[in-house]
Amino acid sequence: MTAAESAKIIVNGLKDAGINLIATLPDINLSDLLREVEEAKGVIHVPLCREEEGMGICAGGYLVGKKCATIMQNGGFFNSNNAIVSTLLQYQIPVLLLIYYAGDIGDRTFATTGGLTEPVLQALGIRYYIMRDIGDAPELIKRAQILAEDSKKPIALLLTKELLGRRPALTSL
Amino acid sequence: MKRYDCLQALAAEVNDALVVSSAGAMTLEWNSLHPSDGNLRVRTLGLCSSIALGMALGLPHRKVVALDGDGSLLMNLCSLPTIARMQPGNLVHIVFDNEVYEASGSKKTATGAGTDLVAMARAAGIKNSQWAKTGDEFAKVAVAALRGSQLCFIGAKVSTDRTAVPPFPIDEVENKYRFIRHIEKSENIEIFRTNLPASYV
Repeated sequence: MTAAESAKIIVNGLKDAGINLIATLPDINLSDLLREVEEAKGVIHVPLCREEEGMGICAGGYLVGKKCATIMQNGGFFNSNNAIVSTLLQYQIPVLLLIYYAGDIGDRTFATTGGLTEPVLQALGIRYYIMRDIGDAPELIKRAQILAEDSKKPIALLLTKELLGRRPALTSL
Repeated sequence: MKRYDCLQALAAEVNDALVVSSAGAMTLEWNSLHPSDGNLRVRTLGLCSSIALGMALGLPHRKVVALDGDGSLLMNLCSLPTIARMQPGNLVHIVFDNEVYEASGSKKTATGAGTDLVAMARAAGIKNSQWAKTGDEFAKVAVAALRGSQLCFIGAKVSTDRTAVPPFPIDEVENKYRFIRHIEKSENIEIFRTNLPASYV
């Protein structure tokens, strides 16, 4: 599976789950995915300067009837924590957080960021799922959006390099 | 110039616009002048402009007003280039600049040392950015912004005077539900969908 094919599957999965507003900030590993978001029809794409503002944009979008997602690196998730706590969690606003998992096993960078990503999600009480198999992506995205709406909370999907078609799959992980 | 007087002028013209207001006394003043389920009080310092942007993009035919403060906007300056990039013609971004963190003990903000938020908004790409220097001028530019269809940024230097008003009567979750029900009713759309339990399907 190439990165471009994987990107198409993820964006189609988001659209099938009803997502129609996506706020993004680039990471090199998200390049193909963000290109696909830019070209997606029927989706409002908001390129951000800092990830925290994306939480506000998604909250505003949700309040007027949009289904919202953000795509960012885990460093950006850390940047967003105050807004996640005092807006998304405080007002009970569902948003899909698609977080590129930098510092995952086998990466040569961001080991500290990678090591703290899941503990921070756990501390915030945000349920998350690690995505490694692109075959599961459409169904997992759909279920995550259902859970976000049911629980009225953000749900995180951790995007790994193998999901994004940027290294060989490890199916037993 | 007093913030309360500016808000009064705005309340007379705001009609069914959605109004997002930054945390602090301004929210209380606004809600006493214009109580509405279309008002949202923001709790995250800085996020007012971004929440308003999300609303403006989501409902492009509806006017959205952000009532921001200098301390708040200084914390989320990057919302200005993002707003400029998206150019929502239905967004009016108003900043009441009293040069202090009013809700946090009235310490000075950077605008008291010369930072010009209107110049920053213009430099970020919001062409229609201006200071309103008097109450009359504020009323004039605010009315023009509300009636027009162009992205506007209005700065108003105001005193630190507060007006005695009642507290904001509802919490964040009730604010959310009331706001969404207001949108569902006024836009004739369904936002909360109640699905049948799986055993019924």
